[in-house]
Amino acid sequence: MKILIVEDEAALAANMQEYLGKGEMICEWAADFRLAEDKLINFVYDIVVLDLLLPHGSGLDLLRLLKKSQPETGILIISAKNALDDRLLGLELGADDYLTKPFHLAELNARLKAIWRRRKLQGHTRLIFEEIQLDTETHEVQVKTQLLTLTLKEYELLLFFISNKNRVLSRQTIAEHLWGDNVDFLDSFDFVYQHIKNLRKKINAAEGQDYIKTIYGMGYKFSKT
Amino acid sequence: MRLITKTTLWYLLLALMVFGVGGWMTYTQVKKEVKRETDYSLRSNMRMLINAIKEGSPIEALRNSKVEIRAIEAPTKPLEPRGYFSDTLALHPSPKIDALEPFRKLTAVRQINGQHYWISIIDVFIESDDMVQGVWRIMTRLFLLLSLVLLLFSFLISRQLLLPFRQILSAISRFDLRKQETLALPTTNTREFRELNQFVQSMTEKARNDYQLLKEFSENASHEIQTPIAVAQGKLELLQSQPNLQPEQLQLLQEAQSSLNKLSRLGQSLTLLTKIENQEFVEEKAIDFSALLQSNLSIFKELITLKGLRLKEHIDPQVRLPINRNMADLLITNLLKNAIQHNIENGWIRVKFEAQQLEISNSGIAPGLPTEQLFERFRKSQQSSASLGLGLAIVSKICERQNIKLRYLYENQVHMLKLNWN
Repeated sequence: MKILIVEDEAALAANMQEYLGKGEMICEWAADFRLAEDKLINFVYDIVVLDLLLPHGSGLDLLRLLKKSQPETGILIISAKNALDDRLLGLELGADDYLTKPFHLAELNARLKAIWRRRKLQGHTRLIFEEIQLDTETHEVQVKTQLLTLTLKEYELLLFFISNKNRVLSRQTIAEHLWGDNVDFLDSFDFVYQHIKNLRKKINAAEGQDYIKTIYGMGYKFSKT
Repeated sequence: MRLITKTTLWYLLLALMVFGVGGWMTYTQVKKEVKRETDYSLRSNMRMLINAIKEGSPIEALRNSKVEIRAIEAPTKPLEPRGYFSDTLALHPSPKIDALEPFRKLTAVRQINGQHYWISIIDVFIESDDMVQGVWRIMTRLFLLLSLVLLLFSFLISRQLLLPFRQILSAISRFDLRKQETLALPTTNTREFRELNQFVQSMTEKARNDYQLLKEFSENASHEIQTPIAVAQGKLELLQSQPNLQPEQLQLLQEAQSSLNKLSRLGQSLTLLTKIENQEFVEEKAIDFSALLQSNLSIFKELITLKGLRLKEHIDPQVRLPINRNMADLLITNLLKNAIQHNIENGWIRVKFEAQQLEISNSGIAPGLPTEQLFERFRKSQQSSASLGLGLAIVSKICERQNIKLRYLYENQVHMLKLNWN
């Protein structure tokens, strides 16, 4: 998956590049409007991560350019929390999704993969992790041959884990992924624990392995070892 | 008191003084004239008498109540050729009136046909209190007439004259900082109003620019703060993915992350408060508040259950209220978050929306401070670490902006927030 990060803040872009680069993504970076325009004219990307506030121009203009020249490229907007109008305009102009700063890199990773699945893998919506199969279209989860009945939150949790496999995820990251801004005020993330407990139970019952590793003092990691 | 009434009253006071002085002047002038006229007529009478004596009329026939003639010896003093005037008091010429009246008297000694005569003529002099009365009467009538005309004039003309002023006032009262339309100020050829127009124009322009700058600043500030937070969070996330981290190190990482998270939320909430204060959410439409309440509640239901709380709800369906949609969302989520967060173990939450009144009550420990202080920023009844102490400040600010009556009641471990739209 080839990604262009259009972000004027070098440190932020470096974070994204490093985090996403560890997976199967190839990340390039453009620091301002002109560089981004240049790259978008000369190369083809699967997804563009686009900050709307840019030096030398507006991210919205890049969005328009992209929609015209490379309509098959996915677009994820990142913006300040309060720039609601810009964000809505971006979605109207055809962006696939948006994230507000500050965001968790794991969340960015999961969103990018979701865009990728929607745009590039039409008819190929099965995610496979060892004996677990997950259909992102029908929301069906299968362990070996057995179909799991998961609640929506459990399904989302599993999908988030598989999207961020082999990475340490904090309870906070998971909670915000599942409930959005609505949990930001809660001290304990026992809720996450409850959902994880149930998910483990259901996978175990289907004789699947327990891939959810508890990382003490931090959160969880979904990995084979 | 209206300006025009005030000026009219001042004018009348001034007129009163002028009329007083004028009255006195008229009185002295008239008195002088009357005296001159009386003297003149006395002199011509004197001439007629002298002529009559010359022609041989007997002096007895010439005498009457006003005229006295006596033949006298030649005086030792030289003759005063024109005679002399004096003022005297005498009985009224009419015998019916028994009163002393002021008289003017001309006395002369003349030699006619070789005989000296002492001649004295008197004439009634107009009484000064009669004159005062006359002047007073005229002056009061004139003053009344002037007052009447002035009042009438001021009411009729002021309407026309002050029209631009009233138009400017109404333009100012319709002025809205957030709207970019220019003020519709009346064109006028009155210099003062033209100056006022210019002043109002430049003031509103300046206010608008300042407002715009402030708005931009608060937006930029929020954006600029969020970026370094995002960078720091990202670095910590990268760090936590490093292999071979010890549990203690991960614990430290986790704590740093949650502090950063809190900082970020703090910035966002303060920006939000500024936005509400700046009245940036102004668009108001009647929305289905019941449905909005239901949908927000359904989002929080899972969290309520997971926290082990019981939820009781009673919501009147399809109640429409005029409120900005974003504001309503913020209002409901902040109220629900507050009720969930400041609850006790195995507690409960009750949401009641009935007759345009929303009551959100929850079980909880007694607040450590007067309930109305909980609406202030950063006021917390207990130092719950995740709470920013801004939720109820946002609620209170929204209620203030949307004219909703907000009350915080506490009794027997029950907290209740009551919102009233009437």
